[in-house]
Amino acid sequence: MLRTLGGCMIFTGCLGLGIWYRFQLEGRIKALRVLQNLLELMAGEVRYGRATLPECCGHAARYLKPPFEGAFLKIGGRMAENAGISFGEVFREEMGEVFRTLPLKEEDREAFFRFLSQAGFADGQMQLRAIEQSMEFLHGTQERLEKENEEKCRMAVGLGAMGGLLLILVFL
Amino acid sequence: MENSILQLFPLSHRTFWQRTADAQDRIQEIRLRAGREAVLYMDGREFFLTDQGEFTDSCLGARRMTERELEEILEHICHYSPYAFEEELRRGFVTVAGGHRVGVAGQAVLAENGKLRTLKNISFFNIRVSHQKKGAADQVLPRMYREGRLKSALIISPPGCGKTTILRDLVRQISDGNAFGRGMTVGVVDERSELAGSFLGRPQNDVGMRTDVLDGCPKELGMLLLLRSMSPRVIAIDELGSDGELQALGQASACGCRILATVHGEGRADVERRFGKGADFWERMFDLFLILGKENGKCVVKQLEESGRTSRRHPEEPGNKMPGSA
Repeated sequence: MLRTLGGCMIFTGCLGLGIWYRFQLEGRIKALRVLQNLLELMAGEVRYGRATLPECCGHAARYLKPPFEGAFLKIGGRMAENAGISFGEVFREEMGEVFRTLPLKEEDREAFFRFLSQAGFADGQMQLRAIEQSMEFLHGTQERLEKENEEKCRMAVGLGAMGGLLLILVFL
Repeated sequence: MENSILQLFPLSHRTFWQRTADAQDRIQEIRLRAGREAVLYMDGREFFLTDQGEFTDSCLGARRMTERELEEILEHICHYSPYAFEEELRRGFVTVAGGHRVGVAGQAVLAENGKLRTLKNISFFNIRVSHQKKGAADQVLPRMYREGRLKSALIISPPGCGKTTILRDLVRQISDGNAFGRGMTVGVVDERSELAGSFLGRPQNDVGMRTDVLDGCPKELGMLLLLRSMSPRVIAIDELGSDGELQALGQASACGCRILATVHGEGRADVERRFGKGADFWERMFDLFLILGKENGKCVVKQLEESGRTSRRHPEEPGNKMPGSA
């Protein structure tokens, strides 16, 4: 009885691990989509409202859900306080906090922050292009992951289950 | 507004500018040029800054501004988004929180039609520190009314004699109401954001409770827009400069609006010559002409002329000096 119970727990644990890994892979894609949405909102504010980057964050926060809503509000608020810290620093700090909770890789973060290193254009079109480039990088990663992940996800769950069975066989 | 000029600078510069910010009330202008010494105009005198940010009379050993520092200041002033200030940069100045105006100069980029497209390599800043002097118009206010009815007034003065300061205070007192007349709805067309010192559309200076401000709009267009949209009883504009503006003023006047305006000039004759309009034209539009000037370095009302009458006041006459004038 205990053996059967132990075997079931090992199998469930391993299967769960595989499913968790699958959710991590899918979660990264979802997070990439959200990041693109954030940049799209900012681009819209620049395009139609000629808003400054800090203003973009304040305005875009209205259309976002936590934790992005809070982070964007904080960015807008901190910049309005005018403590002398650059927009890039404030943006990286606040978004960095949010990114800790998301299954993103370093390359995704860098692609997202890429437009910050190109901020400061005197021409609105150039600034828009910089934001769009960040979006293109994220979109490229998202497409690549979507292609790869179908296989990976199936494999993760399958490996989890098979690993569980293998462990049961070994222990029995 | 306290220490608001410190907010012009990024964090890494603020220690250097702290001493200057502490003396903000006395500072008129800060001039920054790439590779040159920072120059301050304070209490009518010129000062330089040491490496520690202390004031000094001597340019020897004075701190020179680097190109990079000016770039950082510009980025900060433009909220790290210069594209959003394209129009302001084209006009040559940016108004910042606190109502201070940062004039810029650099290399002009022209469009195909020969018009100025933008400025690049901005290497010269002229920071005009905004000082609202409440009570600056106290001495002229009694003359602004006849039996409780506000007169239209034209303030004439050479640059730097306080015409904007007087106009701003007149707007505030007329809008809020005063001992000579009840509060009136005032429409301000603030093309260069100097009167209200608006930042993000909100006046940074107190321009009164019944004042509506159209910020950054050309005066000619703005006056007609305000007339249609806000029905002001008084229209105030700073620095009349074109025939189109005079025509718009004429329309406002015909609609029954009182007019408060300023213009560069030494006197009425000078203004009449510059605009090519005779005395009749101006007297139809304005009931009162205030002529400002400087006497012994102090800004004073040199002359008050009513339409058809002239009242010359001695600058040294008690109460004739503008409060808070340099």
